[in-house]
Amino acid sequence: MSLLRQVWVGAKSLLIGFGVTGRHMMKRPVTLLYPHVEPDATKWNGPIELVTFPETGTHDCIACNACTRICPSDCFTIEGKRPANSKKQRATLFKLDFSTCSLCGLCIDVCPTDTLKYSERYDEAMYTRPMTVNDLLAPFGEDPVFAAAAASPAPPAAPEGGA
Amino acid sequence: MLATLRDWLAGYIGTFAATLLLGVAAIMGFLAFNTLFLIWLERKVSAHIQRRYGPMEVGFHGALQTVADMLKLLGKQLLTPVASDRFVYLLAPVLVFVPVLCIASLVPLAGAEGFADMPYGLLVIVALSGVTVIAIFAAGWSSNNKYAVLGGMRSVSQVIAYEIPVLLAALSVTLVAQTTDLRHIVEAQRAFVPFLLVQPVAALLYMIGITAETNRAPFDIPEAESELVGGFHTEYSGMRFALFFFAEYSNMLVLGALGATLFLGGWSGPWLPGPVWLLLKAYAVILVMMWMRWTFPRLRFDQLMSFAWKLLIPIALLNVLVTALVLWRIG
Repeated sequence: MSLLRQVWVGAKSLLIGFGVTGRHMMKRPVTLLYPHVEPDATKWNGPIELVTFPETGTHDCIACNACTRICPSDCFTIEGKRPANSKKQRATLFKLDFSTCSLCGLCIDVCPTDTLKYSERYDEAMYTRPMTVNDLLAPFGEDPVFAAAAASPAPPAAPEGGA
Repeated sequence: MLATLRDWLAGYIGTFAATLLLGVAAIMGFLAFNTLFLIWLERKVSAHIQRRYGPMEVGFHGALQTVADMLKLLGKQLLTPVASDRFVYLLAPVLVFVPVLCIASLVPLAGAEGFADMPYGLLVIVALSGVTVIAIFAAGWSSNNKYAVLGGMRSVSQVIAYEIPVLLAALSVTLVAQTTDLRHIVEAQRAFVPFLLVQPVAALLYMIGITAETNRAPFDIPEAESELVGGFHTEYSGMRFALFFFAEYSNMLVLGALGATLFLGGWSGPWLPGPVWLLLKAYAVILVMMWMRWTFPRLRFDQLMSFAWKLLIPIALLNVLVTALVLWRIG
């Protein structure tokens, strides 16, 4: 009797299995045909990039190097100088070596002007190591703040080195 | 058109040789096409069961993917193991295909238009389908590889075990139809009902048996990838490997067509011509086999053996006995 029962239970489980796979066969695939269909990356934490503020239309990096100091992998190379008409420094070079970045996000937390954020880029495959170094200022083109400073002939001439 | 070609050929090599040559060429051509189609279908079925798309890039929905794969295999180097039994090693891929080709020529397509007519067709088919196992064992043995030998030995014991239920299922159909001629079996179903309704147990046994005979999951123990690398074809590469694939998928079609002939009424059906009906039914059987492959886990070897000897064969014997008794009672 136990054999018959085993056979019955086994046969029933096989039929249930057929049902499960059959139902899945009829449903839509859950995978994306990647190069043809772009995935939704709004929840994705991609490589770090600079925020574009809508009020100024540009970033607000003051080259304070807080991110350089907090970074556990030493990804950043930042240089800055003070525009002639401003009291704040402004970045002239902002490079991030993505091959060493672990996307920990400490730089985002520490940034005093909140000008760093995760991007939504996901296709970061590269052929060479130098290509992994991202120039974060490149998307902004010529810096409008420096351009404005060069156009106007430095009205509040702060004493050099005196401040 | 074929008749014209045959007459032209017969002028050079005689009618018999011309018919033989053209028949073999036609069957081989169709089986090659069928293999490419079935591999594509298998990948699509498995993909959709797993909620994927499967091949999509080459041709419409990846229809030409298997053609590309075949071209790649054609270009691959043929490796022969140094310590192999060279003659048997080269013979095995051919030998595995010959019985399939013979059986394919014996399945009636439609009425009298089938390629080969044989009053004992069913017996011949059953006898021939046992030859494949010799080829598989030859392949495993001659490769001089422990995994290949293990795969070959498993295949022998498995096919011998599962031949019997298939044979007994066919026997009960023969009892009902009172003939071993496949043509007459189809005619009997045309006059009555498809034997699936008369012999459901035999149909089930046949389905399980052919799945085991074609070495497909859940009975793919001869080539269990996780245990035996590739089983009997571990040492085969390039087009020789492709021949084993070719034989496996052709075997599926042939046994599917035989199943359609025995249980689903063969070529008979309304509106469509006979061969189309036969192929549709055969592909329906194959689709169920694929569905099984992507649903059930592989059996352990002892489970496989006890399933055949302790369960399938007694049921098959009982089925034949009951069929015979019922037929005797109703005369």
